[in-house]
Amino acid sequence: MQVLEQAEELPAAGNLKAQWVSLWTGPVVGVVLLAAALAFPGFWPPMSPTWSAGQVAAFYADHTAWIRAGQVTFNLCGIMILPFFTVIVVQMKRMKGQSHVFAYCYLTALVSGATIFALSNIFFLVAAFRPERNPELVQLLNDLAWIVFIAPVGMVVSQFVLLALAIYFDDRTDPVFPRWVGHFSLIIAAAMVPAAAAAVFQTGPLAWDGIWSFWVRNGAYVAFVVVMFFVLRNTLRRQAIDEGVIAA
Amino acid sequence: MSVLTPEQVSPTATDGGKRDVWWMTWFFPAWYGVFGVIICLLTRVTPPPRPDVTAAGKVAFFAQHHLTIQIGFTVLLVLLGGAAMTNGLVAYQMKRMSVGSAFAYGYLGGMSVGAIPGFLLVTVCFLTAAFRPDRNPELTSLLYDLGMLSYNGSLGCFSVAYLVLAIAILYDRNEIFPKWFAYISIWQIVTEVIATQMFVFGSGPFAWNGSIAFWLAVVVFSVWLGALIVLLRRAAAAEPVDAPALD
Amino acid sequence: MTQTDPATQLESTTLPGDINMWVMVLGDMVIFAGYFVIFMIYRSMNRQEFLHAQQHLNIAIGVTNTVILLTSSWVVALAVQAVRAGEFEKSTRLVLAGGVGGIAFMVLKGYEWASKIAAGHTNSETFYSFYYVITGVHLLHVLIGLIVLGVLVRELRNPAKRRPWMAETGATYWHMVDLLWVIIFALFYVMR
Repeated sequence: MQVLEQAEELPAAGNLKAQWVSLWTGPVVGVVLLAAALAFPGFWPPMSPTWSAGQVAAFYADHTAWIRAGQVTFNLCGIMILPFFTVIVVQMKRMKGQSHVFAYCYLTALVSGATIFALSNIFFLVAAFRPERNPELVQLLNDLAWIVFIAPVGMVVSQFVLLALAIYFDDRTDPVFPRWVGHFSLIIAAAMVPAAAAAVFQTGPLAWDGIWSFWVRNGAYVAFVVVMFFVLRNTLRRQAIDEGVIAA
Repeated sequence: MSVLTPEQVSPTATDGGKRDVWWMTWFFPAWYGVFGVIICLLTRVTPPPRPDVTAAGKVAFFAQHHLTIQIGFTVLLVLLGGAAMTNGLVAYQMKRMSVGSAFAYGYLGGMSVGAIPGFLLVTVCFLTAAFRPDRNPELTSLLYDLGMLSYNGSLGCFSVAYLVLAIAILYDRNEIFPKWFAYISIWQIVTEVIATQMFVFGSGPFAWNGSIAFWLAVVVFSVWLGALIVLLRRAAAAEPVDAPALD
Repeated sequence: MTQTDPATQLESTTLPGDINMWVMVLGDMVIFAGYFVIFMIYRSMNRQEFLHAQQHLNIAIGVTNTVILLTSSWVVALAVQAVRAGEFEKSTRLVLAGGVGGIAFMVLKGYEWASKIAAGHTNSETFYSFYYVITGVHLLHVLIGLIVLGVLVRELRNPAKRRPWMAETGATYWHMVDLLWVIIFALFYVMR
């Protein structure tokens, strides 16, 4: 984004530069998190809820270093996805014909959802901290970690619903986001909802290692982030042109 | 509703500034002072108790500080909201920067996340441990580890808050905070990165009570917090009384 | 309440670059000094263990990295001179060259880490736990330095934004990164 010389001092330029930097933290952090996910032994395949305490403790003992490395990276970098989503908040506030209530609700849900993820990292890390701990306690921590990681979908689902609502409420002649983003958002939300059952089922597609609760739930979230990156990039370009910050 | 003007009410607002902002600006160091007494003197989580003790040792820790842990953390449960207020004040000042709101929301988000695994978890874990002193020592040990690792080891949430704060300050043309504070915030990120080592070591310089992972980090944090308190006061004084309310 | 414009500040003081960057540099060096002191204390407590572990460090790579960073610093210093003389094309090329040095350093460091981990020297050994953390923090500084140099190149390419103090500020940071590495090299690779 090459800012025009005459626009340099405008507040609009600063605003857009801030959004642009925030947008790009998305893919940078995304690559790091993807690497951490690939490195984390507990995902390949996802650990089974049916393992005995002894099996869980043995897994943590056998893969301690990589479990720690993966989860430490999640701990350090996971919340760094926040600035990417704050761009959505800022854009929601630009929507005409509505108060900013959806944007603030979105922000609140975003933060709480991120908190839940941060919590799951801590549980994994504590489980890996003392491999000599009583296996039943390691299993307890592991249960907490997985359940907190997979099952509490409510905050994230609210984000998708709020985004869709805001888009549907937006001015039709000059919308901030194209309307299909709203539909897409709701589909992603629907895909994630069933994962709440991971707190209940130990086997089958809805268990935390199951095809739906693990693969579809997480895949849908990643797909949203990827698609949204391109949508936001276009939106920021249009905003920049509209406000005279870059050349058309 | 008072008819007094802000200058007359607030004796310190001689340079200007809005009355409500001054309230929060004075609250900031007051709350951190109380928080400091709670974590250092009452509940003894700062400096942290050792990771390399047996379960019996941890039970002994909870027994030794039973009363002050209960008093300190129960008070903190009431005063928890102060963290939200101090974070909100910084987010407010960030919104006055020329870069707009994106980074302010990032800071708000990062710090809000941090409040839960970063200090609520240790509060409830330690209170739970003190709740039944006759619990199986292995369970008490679990609560001790969980509390300590979450308190000292919640890293990413604060890292992102410091990162967006640093970038916002460097981009800001309204000079709300001086540029050197951006660099101090970056030092904070460095200490968070180093703190990742505490998940690996039970003793030594990189353990959660280690000279590098803890003590050096506490020194940097104290510098950061002290600077922030002074800078918030300067920023509040510099704000024109009649500036329009932020969106 | 406004800060003095750094450009006018330059006329009134002899300090090159930005006062804020000097706060960063001096403070950063104080923090690193803390790490070095603690390292030395642990070294004096575990002399044999540390000497033994040190043997496995590849001193050839260490020397190469030192030479790379020193050259890179020199090139960036030349760039600052070029900016002051108004030779912006030349200065841009020099800064890019300095950046290439930084990238080469990171690649070599990554290779070094990988080979050490493959050989079994992980942070379970005290010496190596210090090694990885301190060189890791330094690597983070190199990465930030590359971002700083990148911003500098972008500004030098923009006729409206070519300012000597900006080049001096960036160079100050880069020289600090280099100086820290020289000390790290001395402490970890050389000192017996």
